Amino acid sequence: MIHVENLTYRYDAGEPDCLRGIGLDIEEGAHTALIGPNGCGKTTLIKHLNALLFPRAGTVCVDGMMTTEAASVREIRRRVGMVFQNPDSQIVGMTVEEDVAFGPGNLALPSAEIRRRVDESLAMVGMTGFEKRAPHTLSGGEKRLLSIAGVVAMNPRYIAFDEPTAYLDPAGKQRVLEIIRKLNREGIAIIHIAHDMRDVAEADRVVVLDRGQVLLTGTPAEVFERADLLIAVGLDGLPQEGGS
Amino acid sequence: MIRLGQYLPADTAVHRLDPRVKILSVVALSMMIFAATWPEILLISLFLIAVIRATRMTPVQALGALRPVAVFMAMIFLVHLLFTEGLPILSLTPLPVRITREGLVRGIYVTWQFAGLVLAAAILTRSTSPSDLVGGIERLLRPLSRIGIPSQDLAMMIAMALRFMPMLLEEYDRLRMAQMARGADFTTGSIALRTRAVSSLAVPLLLSAFRRADELAVAMEARGYRRGPRTTLRELAFSRCDLGAFAAMTAFFLANFVLRMAIR
Repeated sequence: MIHVENLTYRYDAGEPDCLRGIGLDIEEGAHTALIGPNGCGKTTLIKHLNALLFPRAGTVCVDGMMTTEAASVREIRRRVGMVFQNPDSQIVGMTVEEDVAFGPGNLALPSAEIRRRVDESLAMVGMTGFEKRAPHTLSGGEKRLLSIAGVVAMNPRYIAFDEPTAYLDPAGKQRVLEIIRKLNREGIAIIHIAHDMRDVAEADRVVVLDRGQVLLTGTPAEVFERADLLIAVGLDGLPQEGGS
Repeated sequence: MIRLGQYLPADTAVHRLDPRVKILSVVALSMMIFAATWPEILLISLFLIAVIRATRMTPVQALGALRPVAVFMAMIFLVHLLFTEGLPILSLTPLPVRITREGLVRGIYVTWQFAGLVLAAAILTRSTSPSDLVGGIERLLRPLSRIGIPSQDLAMMIAMALRFMPMLLEEYDRLRMAQMARGADFTTGSIALRTRAVSSLAVPLLLSAFRRADELAVAMEARGYRRGPRTTLRELAFSRCDLGAFAAMTAFFLANFVLRMAIR
């Protein structure tokens, strides 16, 4: 379980806090959607989950390990995978397979195990056969799938997706959402930042952020009940019937 | 779409060799080329031709590798041809220069040296994937980590640079188009004007490169990158072929050396 308590953060001294007293629990195997208008702190929040940022006040605790304990950082980063918005700036390998091998390589796994994970992860996202391709020859959608495979290869228990369907065509979106579903079915907890409410209807729980605070939390149906609040903070894509 | 390096996948003995063997061979070959005397020139030339054939490069492709440096090669040839003292064989009367026999010999020799070096490197880059090349360099430099030179970090930097080159070019194109769409003109006007127009791309390009580097550093950290031991998908291991090639190359190197001693 990831337990976030009273998390407060700001990027630079003198600036207002961009996260203010956030409390959040992410259960193992759960599918949590994180929504909110631009600049409300969604990305900043998930960067705390795998110790890329550290709270100014409050705590983030992953499976009993504090992100502020230097000795735990490595294990936390293995357990909590992160798929960022822009796939281009998270692909590091010169070929597809080497990129997927980057994470397992950082865990210092033996080559045979890396090979196995690379093949599995690429199969998982449907990119078997792309092993030797150079990343810059891939389409936007394929790069996105590759960035997911790179995280899956680390065998994480949680994966945070930062707007995974941005810039994708409808078919590409469906493909990514289907992969997220599949990962969730395999028991990996999903934290899914979304703009479009249609993408979050199947989440177990929806957390609405506004100006660095949790505005609302509940099942999708419960959250959609409060359409007035959602519209007030500038979210759209609401289902007509309030929930699904 | 641009292709990095001249790597062309194929299933030849040269392609299959361990990158370390190939890199060391190129180094050894370069030393031989630099110190070569006439009989060795013949030997090394034959060797290069044999390896080029084994790599399944056509003569046209081999000459193609020399094309980018052709002007430079012509220049060094002419400089040696025209400015070497010695026995005149042809005087170009109105001009204050004459061609000497020594000049001709020297010109051919230096041009051959240069062509040999470029060809050796071309065989390496054509038969070795960039990642194998970087991996090979990393392994060869690894002993240096004892004196504080971080070979893994160096290899990672080379790999990153190779990975980001095409991305920067794309970014450059994008920025150029964006500015053209807003009326910038990169194709007409004086050279000074055009240079200024292109230089207006430098700042946004640099900024975006820095931003990307930042994002990349965060993404690498998120995937557990840190200093210290890490493993790779393909651990380099010497096969029997590699050992054979290495032994052959060493023998060739020594034979060259002995030959030179004997001639002297």
